Amino acid sequence: MRQLLVCATVLVALWSCHPEPDDYDLLDQMVVSTNYDTTVYIGGNSIGTYKTYALPTDTIGYVSNTDRNDTIRTSPQYDLPRKVLQTVEANMNKLGYTRVGFHESPDIGVNVYAVKDLNLFQQVVYPNYYYSGYYGYGGYYYYPYVQTYAYNTGSLVVEFVDLKNAAANQKYEVIWNAYMGDLFNAVNQLDQSIEAVNQAFVQSPYLKVQE
Amino acid sequence: MRYLIFTIALFGAQVLYAQNNYFYIALDVNTPLGNKDFVDETSARGGRMGYRAFVTEDSRVSLGIDASWTTFDKYKPTETFESHGGAITTDYFNYVYQYGLAVSGLYHFKVGESERFFPYAGIGIGANYNEYAQYYNIYSSVEKKWGFLARPEAGVLFRFTRNRGLGAMAAVHYDYSTNKSETFNVDKFSSVGFQIGLIIMNRY
Repeated sequence: MRQLLVCATVLVALWSCHPEPDDYDLLDQMVVSTNYDTTVYIGGNSIGTYKTYALPTDTIGYVSNTDRNDTIRTSPQYDLPRKVLQTVEANMNKLGYTRVGFHESPDIGVNVYAVKDLNLFQQVVYPNYYYSGYYGYGGYYYYPYVQTYAYNTGSLVVEFVDLKNAAANQKYEVIWNAYMGDLFNAVNQLDQSIEAVNQAFVQSPYLKVQE
Repeated sequence: MRYLIFTIALFGAQVLYAQNNYFYIALDVNTPLGNKDFVDETSARGGRMGYRAFVTEDSRVSLGIDASWTTFDKYKPTETFESHGGAITTDYFNYVYQYGLAVSGLYHFKVGESERFFPYAGIGIGANYNEYAQYYNIYSSVEKKWGFLARPEAGVLFRFTRNRGLGAMAAVHYDYSTNKSETFNVDKFSSVGFQIGLIIMNRY
């Protein structure tokens, strides 16, 4: 009885020494980070002076350090690219931009792509060895081995490329971007992606076209 | 830190000679005082264990060592943080993992002749190690800090029967700490707590 009581108390007292938030609660909403080129914005040449943009219809880019194929792009049932692009388009139109074709000299080229990173962690494990008697006799020794942990992480990225001033700048500059993550661990990838894209525009009111 | 280890060793040597002693393990419920923007909820995810020995056979003063652990947390709903050149929107969780180590000096009051109830009061001095963490989606930021700990405490020990060593304890304590985190703007992370647990007492 005494041992039982002590064990029960030890268990209760020790429970969750280092608890962390529940995965579902963490992953049910993406982190949305937006950045703009301060030289373009603050220099009086606001992003809002750009009027037209070009956007792909049904394809988003895919950058990965691992596999070339991914369900985001390859699954025929999966319409994340199209829905995300439609969401970007709706937001752009709401801000006053006009969509034009790629060959109609758009001011902004909108890039949308997914980045997938395979993260590898390696750890060398030194097993305990058992040793008894004289050195070399009756002892067991296991060689250390390398244990590899891997997980995929990734972001959905929307970028504004400055095409209006590309010739003058002699390069393509990104004047605004939105990083939304984590894309590959999302509880509901499609809905959360759309929600994240909308949020990216909500938190960037300076994108509004100036009359 | 060196002085803390030395003091603990000194007390450790002391208890070897002590006659009466007890070991305890308890569930510890704590509420943070101040810094409520970071964490503010009462946490039952904590515990304490320790060993205390009376200085001499008839003494009412005990010296001991206490180890404690508590996790505080707070959910922060979705918020947008503006910065120069951009903004970030997320919901997030703030956590404080607190581990304490203290040496204690307690005075046990005499109540009647039953030798079953032992109210006590005293203070523990030591250090605590706090891990301040912020979790958002798959990302996290962590800062780990040491701080000084002073813990006034009052409680009661209760032996289930006169002749057996097993008993229960309950206590309240105030943990004053200098622990701070610059990253998360937390300073003097202190708390009050209530603990309830079991004791195993050896009386000779």
